[in-house]
Amino acid sequence: MPQFEQIEVFHSLIFWSLISFAILFFLLKRFAFPPILEILEERENKIRSEISDAEKLRQEAEGIKADLGRELKSAHEKAQIIIQMAGDESKKIQDKSINETQVKVRQMLSDAEQEIEITRNKLLNEIRGYTAALTMASTEKILKKALSDDDKKRLIDESIAEVLQEMEKQKS
Amino acid sequence: MENPLHHFEIHPIIHLSLMGFDISISKAIIAMWVGLSIVFGLFMLVVKSGVRIVPGKLQIVAEMSLGFIKEMVEEFIGKKDAPKYFPFIATIFFFILSCNLIGMIPGSYTITSQLVVTGVFASGIFILTLFIGFARHGLRFFGILVPPGVPKIMIPIMIPIEIISMIARPVSLAVRLFANMTAGHTILYVLFGLALSTPLMIGWLPFGFTVAINGLEIAIAFIQAYIFTILTCVYIGDSIHLH
Repeated sequence: MPQFEQIEVFHSLIFWSLISFAILFFLLKRFAFPPILEILEERENKIRSEISDAEKLRQEAEGIKADLGRELKSAHEKAQIIIQMAGDESKKIQDKSINETQVKVRQMLSDAEQEIEITRNKLLNEIRGYTAALTMASTEKILKKALSDDDKKRLIDESIAEVLQEMEKQKS
Repeated sequence: MENPLHHFEIHPIIHLSLMGFDISISKAIIAMWVGLSIVFGLFMLVVKSGVRIVPGKLQIVAEMSLGFIKEMVEEFIGKKDAPKYFPFIATIFFFILSCNLIGMIPGSYTITSQLVVTGVFASGIFILTLFIGFARHGLRFFGILVPPGVPKIMIPIMIPIEIISMIARPVSLAVRLFANMTAGHTILYVLFGLALSTPLMIGWLPFGFTVAINGLEIAIAFIQAYIFTILTCVYIGDSIHLH
């Protein structure tokens, strides 16, 4: 094999390969590797810091979400209380209004009854007056004589009693 | 057919000598320089076009290759010592890879198919690991010859075995790379010779194989550079961490 037989080229191969390796090593170490390794490290740090920032932001967002949830729950509870209060208030107003109306109605009823009673009494008195006058006139015509005061009174009372009985009968 | 090993012969192009030693420049040296210049040129293209946080295509390739080697160095040598050894290990990788790949160009030469070259690098790495080991641990570095957990009675047997194993490291490192490159190129040469020397109706078959083997050789160029580099990391790592 030429690789074992050509001993005369060994010096040249060893010398130039070592020199070339040394030069390549120097050039790459001096000019090529540092900027690329720096950018690799910079990117790694950037990614690491951005992941860390993202994690912080996520935690903050979760905190805000939890706060918002609590606030929403609290607002919901407040709204429920307000609705409850409004309902109670409206019920109170409704009850009050019903009570007032009922009182008014009762008052009006009582007034009307009173009015009716007064009118009734007034009418009864009028009827009594008419009945008395009528009884007196018809009795005097039938008897053709004047009655004494006691008779008049008794006759009037009887007539009134009869009229009233008749009225009661009709009413029932 | 011509001797398939003939193309491994080296003929000086420019005759030079230094202190009585012949340091003539041959096709092998020029091919190596071309390969190394391409590697350096590509890196400088990335650097000169401005490395950016959001990388371009070439920067991605450069970053991926350096990131890959960096991880390898950190894994076997340790994160603490990795920055110190990274430039050396990365240079070994790119040196071997460029020498392996430049030989794939017809008419070029693979300097890693020379056992003397791979042997010099393997020996250099072996001496470096010894130097690192003694510098770090002093005489305790001899402890590398006694694997942990070995019964005391076995130590006299284990030490010669470990010495042989240690010496086998540079030998295997050198021979593996040299043999792979030589074998690949010889097969390609034979197949291509067959393709040219046979009629077209049969010749397409070895030619087809040549194409397939070429693809395989490119993969082998990467794999051998990777193996050489990872074993260098392992040997240096062993010297730093002992057992």
